[in-house]
Amino acid sequence: MVSIKTPKVIIIFLLLKGCEPFVTEFDESSEPVLYTSSNVNKVNEPYVGGNVKVLTWNIRFGVGRFPFFGDSCGDEVITRSDNVALTMEAIADTINQIGADIVLLQEVDVGSKRTGYWNQVQYLLDNTYLNYGLYASMWKADFIPTDGIGRINTGNAILSKHELTDAERIQLRLRADQSDLVQYFYLRRNILKAKIPYFSLGGADFYALNIHATAFATDDTKEQHIGKYIDVLSSIDDQGDIFITGGDLNAVPPGALTDYCLSDFCDGEDYHADGADPYHKEGSYFDNFPGEPNILLPLYNQFSPAIDTTEYNKDIHFTHAPSTSTSDDAGITKHDRKLDYLFTNRYWEKNLSQTHQGAWKLSDHMPVSSLYKPLDN
Amino acid sequence: MKFFFITFLFLCALLKSQEGRIWDAHSAYVIPEKRWEVGLFQAFRYGYSEGYEYSTHPIWFFIVPNLSIKKSSGEVFGHKTARRFKGYYPTPLLNMVSKAGIGGLIDPGLTIPPLVGLSGSVIGSRSIYGFDYSISAGADIGITSGELDYRSNIDLPMIYHRMGVFFNGWGLSWGLDIQKKVKENIRLHVDFDIRLLPGLSSKNSNYFYNMFNGESSLEHKFLIIWSRSNNFRIITGYKLVTGQFPYGVDTRVLPYIPMLEQWVPILELQWAGKAFN
Repeated sequence: MVSIKTPKVIIIFLLLKGCEPFVTEFDESSEPVLYTSSNVNKVNEPYVGGNVKVLTWNIRFGVGRFPFFGDSCGDEVITRSDNVALTMEAIADTINQIGADIVLLQEVDVGSKRTGYWNQVQYLLDNTYLNYGLYASMWKADFIPTDGIGRINTGNAILSKHELTDAERIQLRLRADQSDLVQYFYLRRNILKAKIPYFSLGGADFYALNIHATAFATDDTKEQHIGKYIDVLSSIDDQGDIFITGGDLNAVPPGALTDYCLSDFCDGEDYHADGADPYHKEGSYFDNFPGEPNILLPLYNQFSPAIDTTEYNKDIHFTHAPSTSTSDDAGITKHDRKLDYLFTNRYWEKNLSQTHQGAWKLSDHMPVSSLYKPLDN
Repeated sequence: MKFFFITFLFLCALLKSQEGRIWDAHSAYVIPEKRWEVGLFQAFRYGYSEGYEYSTHPIWFFIVPNLSIKKSSGEVFGHKTARRFKGYYPTPLLNMVSKAGIGGLIDPGLTIPPLVGLSGSVIGSRSIYGFDYSISAGADIGITSGELDYRSNIDLPMIYHRMGVFFNGWGLSWGLDIQKKVKENIRLHVDFDIRLLPGLSSKNSNYFYNMFNGESSLEHKFLIIWSRSNNFRIITGYKLVTGQFPYGVDTRVLPYIPMLEQWVPILELQWAGKAFN
């Protein structure tokens, strides 16, 4: 029987629900969203210390080389359904071919207007061999009132064959070089951390961590992000536990070129000229503050990189190919910097780390894979 | 920008009121001949003759040309009835918000073709036990000249389902308005409006990509009306919208200030007068 109070309760509920914030803000630590494949294939054999294949990939929300206004020389915002469908299918195929046990993804859309409200985490779980997923949003708003963006929800994801537990979304500092209004509607980057009990070994817990650090900040935000990342990794290491980690650090390795403004500039832009404001292009210049060119040095010094210091500045390991990287009409492409990384506090199989530059059409970032091993044998 | 955004939502909300839910515009009664009524955000209404009422929204007129005609009819089952016809041309406004930068609500790469919206509805009004109520039922037609890109929807409450008429070609609506006089110069107004766009969800969709997965909405308004005289009124209250959207069910109280994260009450001032003979 419906109480006389029911309509009042419904109206109060709707009024409260209707006053939820437009933009989702996050605590320093919060719970990510857990996903499960519609067809879980559990592994029954116990883990005895073998190699674990790990992949990191900024998939650019499954739009491939779509001329998105925010990160390329394009001026479009909402992609067509066939573009997303073909790209996501190819991304799923690529993941299936690489066959990683743990996949760290950045720029994954979950219900964004720009990709037709596609739930890309669920799609990838349903169309690969991977069983479990975690998602932590870095940009979630009911409505972004600029450039036709509308509803947005994009972020980091960890996909795994094995169960993910103890998941945590760790908030990174917001950009401080923006107005309050822009900052309110802007990205809230994070580190996504989870335990994978299946790979625990000898009493040491096994963690996977995924990061997407700031790309366009010109203040010390990137330093803060990398610093926090190192703190989180060091904390796990200090406890005697194991981690594999990776992501899009939006930072070049020590010794790399630091100025890509002239190779990234779009028609109508003007950098490095007298009176140009800004003088450098945001996201294309890696010497904004003292120490930025060597910002990743502590990671290399403390932990084991999948692509080591003798290799990381070689062409074959460049992971980023911006929209200007098609050098002519014949479709010749180039990759010109390394922004995506894998690290562990244990070991990688030597000479088996790979930057999959054949994925040029699927994103402006290339997947990087490697084989983790718990012991140096 | 905030002002633009809030004003846009607010005006959208109150454009709906042009269809007649503030003051007595909601009812089947037309206003007396040569009387006019106007509000800060409400339509300008004019009693053309004993049986006809014209209205248009003056603020919107230059960016959304619009005209509404209400024609009085006879009694049916004890209800005073009227028919209302409305036409509007939203293309200039939509192309204004198809822009880069702040205030861009539509992908700037998209151009909105000429669109004409037509609505027809039947209204019945009656008083019973001191309550004045009106019920209405209507159909909407969206006529497009040229290709309306499916990516040009605006996924905001109030707007999504109104624009949906142009993607779907047609829609249906029902309304219920109730007014109650509680004191000599104070009235309460409650209304509910349902809007349906049958078949919209199947357009331009595959399993994962779906721009139009939302066919219905319910709008509700509660207002307190203080009449200082027959020629001036102040109105305040709230408007609530709940409905299906491409991303799921959503509920919003309008107007809403994003950065302050709070709802503010509707505030509307209305005037009326008599045209010269």
